[in-house]
Amino acid sequence: MSEDETRIAAPLRTDGLAVRYPTKKAPSLEGVSLEVGRGERLGVAGRTGAGKSTLALATAGFIPRVVRARLDGRVMIDGLDAAAAPADALLGRVGIVFATPANQLSASKLTVREELAFGLENLGVPRAEMDPRIDGTLDRLGIAHLADREPFALSGGEQQRVAIASIVAMGTTVLVLDEPTAQLDPAGTAAVADLLDELAKAGAAILCAEHDPSVLGRMDRCLVLDSGRMVALDVPGTALALAAEAASLTPPTLVRLAEAASLDLARAFDEPAVAAGLRAWADAGGVARELAHGATTATTAAAAAAGSIAAPPLPGPAWTPARERAPVRVAVDGLVHRYPGGVEAVRGASLRVDPGEAVAILGQNGSGKTTLVKHLNGLLRPDEGRILLDDVPTDGRSVAELARTVGFVFQNPDDQLFERSVEREVAFGPRNLGIATADVANLVVGSLAAVGLLEERTTNPYDLDLSRRKLVALAGVLAMDPAVLVLDEPTTGQDVDGVERVSAIIEAFRGAGRSVVAITHDMEFAARHFSRIVVMRAGEVVADGPPGLVFAPGNATLLASTGLTPPPAARIAARLGLDTVPLDAAALLATLRS
Amino acid sequence: MSATTGYYVAGSSWLHRRNPLTKLLALALVLLSAFLLPPIVLVVLVVVIVAAVWSAGLLRPTVRAMRIPALLLLSILVVNSLFFPGATDVLASLGPLSITRDGLTFGLISAGRVLVAFLASVAFLFTTLADDMLETLIARGASHRISFVILSAVQMVPRMQDRAGSILEAQQARGLSLEGSFVRRIRSLVPLIGPVLLGSLVDVRERTFALEARGFGARPNRTAYRIVVDPPIDRWLRLAIIGLCLGVVVVAVTGFPR
Repeated sequence: MSEDETRIAAPLRTDGLAVRYPTKKAPSLEGVSLEVGRGERLGVAGRTGAGKSTLALATAGFIPRVVRARLDGRVMIDGLDAAAAPADALLGRVGIVFATPANQLSASKLTVREELAFGLENLGVPRAEMDPRIDGTLDRLGIAHLADREPFALSGGEQQRVAIASIVAMGTTVLVLDEPTAQLDPAGTAAVADLLDELAKAGAAILCAEHDPSVLGRMDRCLVLDSGRMVALDVPGTALALAAEAASLTPPTLVRLAEAASLDLARAFDEPAVAAGLRAWADAGGVARELAHGATTATTAAAAAAGSIAAPPLPGPAWTPARERAPVRVAVDGLVHRYPGGVEAVRGASLRVDPGEAVAILGQNGSGKTTLVKHLNGLLRPDEGRILLDDVPTDGRSVAELARTVGFVFQNPDDQLFERSVEREVAFGPRNLGIATADVANLVVGSLAAVGLLEERTTNPYDLDLSRRKLVALAGVLAMDPAVLVLDEPTTGQDVDGVERVSAIIEAFRGAGRSVVAITHDMEFAARHFSRIVVMRAGEVVADGPPGLVFAPGNATLLASTGLTPPPAARIAARLGLDTVPLDAAALLATLRS
Repeated sequence: MSATTGYYVAGSSWLHRRNPLTKLLALALVLLSAFLLPPIVLVVLVVVIVAAVWSAGLLRPTVRAMRIPALLLLSILVVNSLFFPGATDVLASLGPLSITRDGLTFGLISAGRVLVAFLASVAFLFTTLADDMLETLIARGASHRISFVILSAVQMVPRMQDRAGSILEAQQARGLSLEGSFVRRIRSLVPLIGPVLLGSLVDVRERTFALEARGFGARPNRTAYRIVVDPPIDRWLRLAIIGLCLGVVVVAVTGFPR
């Protein structure tokens, strides 16, 4: 086939695509030309606001038909001009899946089978053909066992796979996904990535906007966007390395390891290959390569490899305590919690958090993590056991009173934002606590500076994107000046910048003798910024210790039973048979050099 | 109550087995009768509806569902009895407050109408799957947009209740106190209602996109996977109900025979 024919055959193509929303001055996408062939998976990476979602909407034919925006250039789907074609014509050719699993389903169907039938009904497929098509799709995607389950009783990962199956059952050749794993646990994320592999093998063209390197690394190619423009389009390793360089950020661990040992970046996500390459590199003396990008000298590269170069400084100061306050010890003692209906969500969990500690709680969705932490500020009350703050039981103290000591940031910022400006929103908590006005002003400014939103103080929170709305919610709790900070999934929906911000605040909080408890699905985040890892399974604490112990190779079976894997650096170290457990790329390289 | 099934209570009673359209028409007949016919009919309607839900084994959930409307009914009764404008026929006095005959009568009638409307709607929602209703309406030629609005309305309450729980927790965690003076409590509603409304908008946008991606309403020749039962007796029932509806309207327009 000639190159021209390939071009025509590519089910998804954009030529000089540019999108501008009516409310924005700058275009959200500019000059994007790409092709996704049959059986190809194209990952789309970039910071929040870089244009990933806009590209997803445009390639799914939603702009300008559903979302109002000016579209220049062309989007061709299966040879049809998406902007000009009627909705009917695109149906069954292209489909899109978004981040929130529950919102992807029609919300009215009693079984997964009926959910898949919904799209076929809309296409006008005769009823006799529906069952074979539904069964075929479910079989092919390996989720036949879900056919007769109720969609809303499924886990997020299962719901997301059903949502994808519902689109695929319609016969779509082009599948677009906008951060499909953002709200899933590691097992759910892996299952969705596996499913994309299957779809690609069956000939689908896939465009997937993502933050998670473990998903991006499995794509065939990766497009990196920055301010709406293409920065890189290459195999994932190379593209992500270039993107990190352009933004002066740390690349994903595996890419960084491959770079340091001069491996082929195309194989950066092939863990056995990276391990083998690193062994050869260490045997040859372990000199970190002069990094191809930037004016990095051999010495600084070596220093970087030894971990002595800090992360690039963030604009603005990290969090500093505005007021002195005494440290508080938290103890959870034999906690049991039953939900109405008798489900035991927490079954005898005990936990201590000392001042200056940061504890990450890991585990699959449904393992009882959120139920446990909701006891710390009295949102839930123990059925058995006790919660102690400085050895005083919390029984009988109201949530509002406990809020003076324990700050709780929820996963979904939209459950709390209501004020007309960021500043007023952040002042809501400290005002409720009756903190003096002058102090409130200081606390508000301090917390907004810590999350980097000082310049947005008069903006309406709902004019900010999700990642920044999450930061507003975090600032709102920081401003209450708590001794203990509880975070539920602080990094979901955050890009690398956002994660760095949250990490810096956690470090600063610990430094001030206060403590942090966070629920997270991000193993690397947990390993790098927390002094202790607590693993929960079926309502019980099954592991509790420093990251180096919990992520040790000896725990691999235990972790796997909870759907977790150690962070990448620890996984590579285990492959190399090292007896230490490095938590990031720098630590692993340093171990190998010594 | 879940987002999928709304208020639906699974079962196979004679009420469950009726076609959704039959029940929708019956609901219309009850509402027409309650608001257009003389008040004495309200007593008959309440008895008939309660007997119907009892025979369908739904008396207990129905009573439970009426707990919150009961407060509304009580307030309608009290406010009208005490403050009915222009009423002078005092039945009883308690300090500066007096119950008037006109007020009590009007209060009883209004409360009765609202009671009938609530009971009939609850009986309908308990025995009808939203999805069956949707299929029936579309099969009868209703536009998909109207059907979608009906479906969303049925599902909105459970969804909002779900969200309201999370919002209450999030704001309490920010020190919002729900105790104190009346004014203080009213003020504390703003941070609770704000996110329900604003968050729902975000939610609706995503859900609309998802339906769009599945081609909802894109083609006129829609087919149906789910078979909604329509026993022959339902056709006769519907004809009878439509006849009765017309009768109620005619009687109401021409004046009641005295």
